[in-house]
Amino acid sequence: MPTWLQKILSSSLGKKYITAITGLLLVLFLVAHLAGNLTIYADKDGSAFNSYAHLIESNPLLPLAEAGLLVLFLAHIGLAVRVTIENRRARRSRYAVANDKGKKTTSSATMIWTGLIVLGFLILHIWNFRIGKELAGESGDLYTLVKSELRQGWTPWAYVVGMGALGFHLWHALRSAFQTLGAAHPYLDEAWEKLRWLAVVLALGFASFPLYFLFYT
Amino acid sequence: MSESMHITLNVWRQKNAQEEGRLEAHACDVSPDMSFLEVLDVLNDKLVSEGKEAIAFEHDCREGICGSCSLVLNGQAHGPHKNTTTCQLHMRSFKSGDNITVEPFRAAAFPVLKDLVVDRSAFDRIQQSGGYVSVNTGSAPAANAVLVPKDDADSAMDAAQCIGCGACVAACPNASAMLFVSAKIAHLGLLPQGQPERKKRALAMVSAMDREGFGNCSNHFECGAACPKGISVANIARLNRDWLGAVLTEREERKDQGD
Repeated sequence: MPTWLQKILSSSLGKKYITAITGLLLVLFLVAHLAGNLTIYADKDGSAFNSYAHLIESNPLLPLAEAGLLVLFLAHIGLAVRVTIENRRARRSRYAVANDKGKKTTSSATMIWTGLIVLGFLILHIWNFRIGKELAGESGDLYTLVKSELRQGWTPWAYVVGMGALGFHLWHALRSAFQTLGAAHPYLDEAWEKLRWLAVVLALGFASFPLYFLFYT
Repeated sequence: MSESMHITLNVWRQKNAQEEGRLEAHACDVSPDMSFLEVLDVLNDKLVSEGKEAIAFEHDCREGICGSCSLVLNGQAHGPHKNTTTCQLHMRSFKSGDNITVEPFRAAAFPVLKDLVVDRSAFDRIQQSGGYVSVNTGSAPAANAVLVPKDDADSAMDAAQCIGCGACVAACPNASAMLFVSAKIAHLGLLPQGQPERKKRALAMVSAMDREGFGNCSNHFECGAACPKGISVANIARLNRDWLGAVLTEREERKDQGD
């Protein structure tokens, strides 16, 4: 391992840098994912969504992209868990009176929990569609699979809860990541305050799919 | 003379670093014009006259500039006000009949020594690791020989206001010392005199901070709100920038010296 990488990984700041960069890359993935999924709303029979899905599946670089995503998720989750454990150790005795000066938010105080809920969602999601698609084989088209899974029992509600957690997670993340990367300036800070609304857009956007299949199809 | 107030203090008592501590209730009649530390003085006089042990707490200048006083009052470092140290907090900020829980700053890196006194020497060790500039001694340099842009001087002075009290650590949900370290980095790094050691300073002070067992910053920004000197969290972003630049560009120490 090169010395500079070793230095980064052994430092509190380095761990946060990598958590921030991997997190922002995952947000970019979510933006692309949501844009692609919107083809669901293009027509009633799902042919637009299926041809979009075919475009992705037939790309020879897909396994590489999946491996990249896996690395991003593992690095982000691993470092976040480690940083959280270190933070708990940094204050062993709690204050008798829990209070603050009003800067902490529900979103900032629950990052590890919302993150773990999103991880739970992710496992369910991969089971439903990535593994589900493999099991369905060539016969099933993805739209039919999505439609049947997202109307089944508690699955749509688990998706809505997962996306709620994602919204809370990203609300703090989108502000925090740029501060960690050192990109702070009165003008930039104003831009980040606006950018955090992307958290709401992503959460509502993704949560709309299970609700659409449940109530409108 | 203003009317006297009746308050109840729940004070953290702890014999030493090893033993468990607990809260102890004391009823006090106080004047609204007293500072919070004066209330503890009066209470201690009473305890001593009753043959009990006085409450240990730290204080020195009592005018808000030395960084000695600490205390977490009802869960807030230095009490409820903005930009105010505990010594400058007056009892008129509370109501008669109030219960005030008085605790020490809590962080693994700030172990409690006795009652409300914590060991903040971790800050000294961080400071010694790089929070300085090296200058030649001898005659004073000519005034204005080194020009400093006004904006930089202002920002450096804002950061230099840090009195090293540790309220940022006490208020941080993660007990992180980033606001303190970032204030020192900005204070010296913004000035021309601080440039030669700028990269080394960022690397050394961050490693020293990590060694002391402070938590990691997760940008709750509670530190800036609790800081009695109003140090801005923008300094933390500057520290993050300086540190990354230093990691990526600082050359290894030359090994060929003396050959």
